[in-house]
Amino acid sequence: MSAHCIALITLLAPLASAAIIALFLRRQGTLAATLSTLTAALIAAGGLSLAFTGARFDGTVDWLTLGNFTLLLGIKFDDLAALMISVVGVVGLCVHVFSLGYMHDDAAKARYFGGLSIFMFSMLGIVLADNLFMIFIFWELVGFSSYILINHYYERQSAADASKKAFIVNRVGDFGFLLGIIACYYAFGTVNLAEITDKVQGGTAVAAMIPLLLFCGAVGKSAQVPLHVWLPDAMEGPTPVSALIHAATMVAAGIFMLCRIEPLFAAAPVALTVVMWVGAITALYAALCAITQSDIKKVLAYSTLSQLGYMVAAFGLGRLDILPEGETGKLTFITAGAAAAMFHLTTHAFFKALMFLGSGSVIHGCHHEQDIFKMGGLAKKMKWTFITFTIGVLAIIGMPGLAGFFSKDAILYLAMENNTPVFIILAFSAVLTAFYMTRLWRLVFFGAPRSDAASHAHEGGFSLVLPLIVLAILSAAGGYTALYGNVFDAVWSQIPVAHGSAHTTILIVSVAVMVLGAGFAFLLYKPASTDALAAKSPGLFALLALLKESFDAAYNWYVAKVQQRFAMLVEFLERIFLSGLIIRGLAGVVGLVGLGARALHVGSLHAYVYWFLFGAAILWAFAGGWLN
Amino acid sequence: MFSHLLLLSIAAPLAAAAVISAGLPTRAAKFVATLGFALPALIALHVWYHFPAGVGANYEFIQSYHTGLQALGIKLTLGLNGIALPLYVLAGLVGLAAGLYAIQSGAERLKTYLALLLIMQAGLMGAFSSVDIFFFYFFHELALIPTFIMVGVWGGKDRGYAAMKMTIYLTVGAMLSLLGLIAIYYKSGAENFDLITLRQTLLEDGIIAGTQNHIFGLLMFGFGILVSLWPLHTWAPLGYGAAPSSAAMLHAGVLKKFGLYGLVQIAVPLLPLGATHWAMPLAWLAVVGNLIVIGLITIAQRDLKQMVGYSSVMHMGYAFLGVATLSAVGAGGVVLMMVAHGFSVALLFLLSTSVYHRTQTFDLTEMGGLVQKAPVLAAFFVTATMASIGLPGLANFWGELTIFVAAWKFSPLLTVLAVSGVVISAIYGLRAAARVFFGQPTEAFAKVIAEKPPVDLRWSEKIPALILLAALFFIGFWPKSLSVPLNAALEEVYPSKAPVITIVGQ
Repeated sequence: MSAHCIALITLLAPLASAAIIALFLRRQGTLAATLSTLTAALIAAGGLSLAFTGARFDGTVDWLTLGNFTLLLGIKFDDLAALMISVVGVVGLCVHVFSLGYMHDDAAKARYFGGLSIFMFSMLGIVLADNLFMIFIFWELVGFSSYILINHYYERQSAADASKKAFIVNRVGDFGFLLGIIACYYAFGTVNLAEITDKVQGGTAVAAMIPLLLFCGAVGKSAQVPLHVWLPDAMEGPTPVSALIHAATMVAAGIFMLCRIEPLFAAAPVALTVVMWVGAITALYAALCAITQSDIKKVLAYSTLSQLGYMVAAFGLGRLDILPEGETGKLTFITAGAAAAMFHLTTHAFFKALMFLGSGSVIHGCHHEQDIFKMGGLAKKMKWTFITFTIGVLAIIGMPGLAGFFSKDAILYLAMENNTPVFIILAFSAVLTAFYMTRLWRLVFFGAPRSDAASHAHEGGFSLVLPLIVLAILSAAGGYTALYGNVFDAVWSQIPVAHGSAHTTILIVSVAVMVLGAGFAFLLYKPASTDALAAKSPGLFALLALLKESFDAAYNWYVAKVQQRFAMLVEFLERIFLSGLIIRGLAGVVGLVGLGARALHVGSLHAYVYWFLFGAAILWAFAGGWLN
Repeated sequence: MFSHLLLLSIAAPLAAAAVISAGLPTRAAKFVATLGFALPALIALHVWYHFPAGVGANYEFIQSYHTGLQALGIKLTLGLNGIALPLYVLAGLVGLAAGLYAIQSGAERLKTYLALLLIMQAGLMGAFSSVDIFFFYFFHELALIPTFIMVGVWGGKDRGYAAMKMTIYLTVGAMLSLLGLIAIYYKSGAENFDLITLRQTLLEDGIIAGTQNHIFGLLMFGFGILVSLWPLHTWAPLGYGAAPSSAAMLHAGVLKKFGLYGLVQIAVPLLPLGATHWAMPLAWLAVVGNLIVIGLITIAQRDLKQMVGYSSVMHMGYAFLGVATLSAVGAGGVVLMMVAHGFSVALLFLLSTSVYHRTQTFDLTEMGGLVQKAPVLAAFFVTATMASIGLPGLANFWGELTIFVAAWKFSPLLTVLAVSGVVISAIYGLRAAARVFFGQPTEAFAKVIAEKPPVDLRWSEKIPALILLAALFFIGFWPKSLSVPLNAALEEVYPSKAPVITIVGQ
C-alpha cells in the first residue's frame, strides 16, 4: 500500500467511525466504544508506520474553484507532521483505552465515543494539512468536537455554559486567524505552506500584521492570555477528554500551527517578539493561578496553560546563534524556537496526558470527588496510579533524566541566550510549577484519607491502568531524542542544546529551580483539609486568587452587562428609528419619489397603492432617462 | 417527455393543487400533495445529476413555449445555467421538505393549505428555471401571493399585522424590481425579454452609465426589500415569526433568494456600470446594517422563531457583500451561500416548530433541558445551528469563506467588519441551543413536561429534516457538485477582470 493511501485511510477512518456511530450505533454504546477504540488503534498504527518508515510525501487535489479563487485540499507529510501524528496517535489510543473503563457505565457512551472519533478526524486533518485554508477547516472542526465533548454532561448548566464559552472564545481567535489567512492569500497569492516558505525565503516582504493575525488563531486554540478563559472551564468535560483535547493535542495545535508558518515569523521579528511575550506572560500568569486551585483538574488545567505559554514563548524566542567554545565560526539554529516548542509539546503531551488520566483514575476511584483537600492517602490504595502519577510529576517539574527535564532545559537555554527577562520569567514559572505540582501530589497521595470517598478509594480496572503505564514509560524516556532514530531529524536537529559552560549553568539553574519549588511546597503543605498557604499567608493567597478571578469576573461582566445590554440597546434604537421611519408606509420609498409625509396619515391601503403608482411613474421616467 | 422536464416540474404541483381543490378526501389529498412535491424534487435531482459536465455557461434543458404574448416579446422559455441550477435544486428539495412537514402538521383546512403551498412550489420552480425575465417575475408573484394568504390565515400571533406588513413591503419590492427589469428591456433595445438575447444585445451596445445607475438603484432597492436589505428588512422577522412553518421554510429558504438571484444573474452582469456605482453603498448597508446591527439584535432576541428570522436577515448581509464585490468569486460565494442558507434556515424553522410542539412556547427563557427528552431533535438542532454559523463540513461554510475572500480585495476594512459576524452568529446560535436543550428545565417548562411529556422527533418530522440535513452535508463535503457548473456560468457572465467594464453606448 502506498504511503498516500495509508495516510488517507488514517485520516478518513475516524470520520467513517463517527458517521457509523451517529447513524447506527446510537443505542449500542459498547459497540460504539469498540469501533471507536479500534479506529484509534488503526490511527496509531497508521501514523506510527508512516512516521517511522520514513515516508515523506505531499499531494493535493482541488476542492472548490470559483473565478480565480481555488481552494485545495492536500497532505504535507514531513518530519513535523510525522512527529505530531505520532503524538496524536499514541495519546489518542491511550485515551480511548482509558475511556473504555472510565466511561463504562455512562448512559451516553455512543455519543462520547462518536465525539472522540470526530475529534481524531479533525485533529489529523490539522496535522496533515498542506495549506492554511485546510488547517482552518479542521481547526473549526476540532473546536466543534471540543464543544460537544465539553458538553457531554449536558444536564449540568455549568457544562452547557463552558462548552458555549469555549466555542465562542475560540471563534474570537479564529476571527483573526481567518483574516490572517485571507491576507496571506493576497500577499503571497497562495496559502500553501511550502509555497509560502519559498516566497518568503525568496525575499517577498512580510507585513508583521499577517503573522500576528495568524497568531490570533493560536491564542484562541492554545488558550493564551487573554483568551485563556475557556480552558479551565472546559474541565467540565469528562476527564479523558481533558487529557486528550485540553492537554495533549488540540490545545497544542496552536503551537503546531505556528511551527507550520515559522518562516513568516522569521521574516517579521516584531511579530515574533509579541508571540514571545504573550507566551511568557501566560506561562507566569497561569502558574500563579494554579497555586490556589483546590480542584485536581483545575490545577492541571492551569498547569497546562502555563506549559502552553512555555511552548509559545519558546517559539517566540526564535533562532539561536552561538559561538561554540574553541571554534571560530558561528553556529546557527534557524528554527531553534520552533524545535524547542515542538520538543516540549511532545514531552508535555506524554506527561500531561498521563497526569490527567491519573487524575481521572483518582476521580474514578474516589467516586467523582475532585477536591484535593478531600483526598489523601491514595498512595497506598491506588498503587499504579500513584507510581505513574509520580513519574508524571517528576517529569513536569524537570527531574534530571525524565522527559520534561530535556525539553524544559532546551527552552530555558534558548531564553538564556536570547532574552534575559524572559529567561527570568520562565525560570520563575518553573519554580512555581515545581511548587504547585508537589502541593497537588502531597495532598492527593499522602497522609490519611480526608473523606469517605478517599478512604474507600480503589484502583480501576486493567483498561485504566494500562494507558497510565504506557504514558509513564513515555514520560520517562520521551526526552531522549536518540530513541526516535532519525525520523524526526528536521525537528530534533534544531533543538538548542547547551554545551560547555552554558550546559553547566543551565543544569544548575534547572535543578535549583526544581529543588526550590518542590522543597518549599514540601515544607509548606502537610496533608490537611485546608490550604496551608491560605492559613499562613492569607494576603498572598487572596492576591493570587484575585489574579485568577479578576479575569473571570471581567469576562462575566462583559457577557452579562456589556454584550447583552448593548445588543438590547441596539434593538431598542432600531425599533424606534425604523418603525418611525420606515414602517410608516415606506417613508424610504415615499421620500424617494417625492411624496409628502402627509400621505402617511391617509392610512388606507388604497391610498398607498395610488400614491405608489404615481411615484412609480416618476421613477420610471427617471429610469427611462426623460428627466435627465 | 424528458425534454419537457422543467415544464413538468412547474405543472405537477399546479395540477396537484387543482386536483386537491377539486375536493378530494383528506387522505387522498395528502397522497396527491406528496406526489406534487416529490415530482419537482426528483426532477431537480435528475437535472442536477445529468447536468452536462464542464458546462454551465449556456442554458441546458432549454425549451420554449408559445404563450400568445409574442407580440410583446414574451415567450415562456425554460432552461438552467450554472447559476440557476443550484437555486432550482434548492427549490425542489426545500419544497419537498416543507411539503412533507405541512402534510403531517395537522393544520386546519389542511387541503387548502396544501393547495396554496403547491402553488407556491410551482412558482418557485418556475422562477428559477425561467430564462425569460417576464416569466421570472411572473412566477415570483405566483409564489408570493399564496405566502401572504398563508401568513394571514394560518399564521401565529399578530398574523393580521404581519400579513399586511409583508404584503406592503414585498409588493413594493416586487414593483420596483419590475420597473427595473422593464427598464432594462426597454433601454437595451432588444426584441424580447429573453435573458440570453438581452445579454447579447447589451454586450454589443451597453446602456449609458447614468441610466444604468438609475436602473441598478431600482433593482438594488427592489430586490433588496425582497431579500431584507437593512433598513428595509422589518417585514422579515415579523412575517417569519407569524408565518406557519412550511410557508416560512419556503419563503425564507427559497423565495427570498429570488432577489439575490436577480442581482447575481441579471442586474450585475447587465448593468456593470450601475453596479460599480452602487457597490460601495450596498456593501456598507450589508455589513453595518445586516451583519452588525441585525447580528446584535439577534443576540437580544428571546423568541426562538424571531431569532431564526433575524439570523436569516443577518446572513443576507454576507450575500449582499458578495454581490457588491462584483467579482466571479463573490458572485459564486453568493450562490453557494444562498443554497446553503436556504437549506439551513428551512431546517431551523422546521425544528423550531418541532421544539414549539414540545415546549408549547417559543420563549427561550421558558425552556431548558429538552435534550433529555428529545436527543435526536437536539442533535438535529445543534447540527442546523452549526450549519448556520458556518461550520466546515456543512454547506454554509463555503459560501461565507468565498465571500470573505472576495471581499478582502474589495475592501479589507469591510472584510474585517464582516468576519466579526462569525463571532456574533456563534454567540446567538449557541446561546439558543443551550437555552432550549441544555441545563435543567425551567420551572415553566417543568410544568409542561409534567402535563404532556415531550417525545422525541417522530419519523414524519424526521424525514423532511433529514432531506435538508443530507443536502447540507452533501454540499458541505462536496462543494464541486454545485461549483463546477456554477463556475462555468460565472466565467461567462463575470469575465475575470472585475469590475466588469462594457462599452458605453451613446
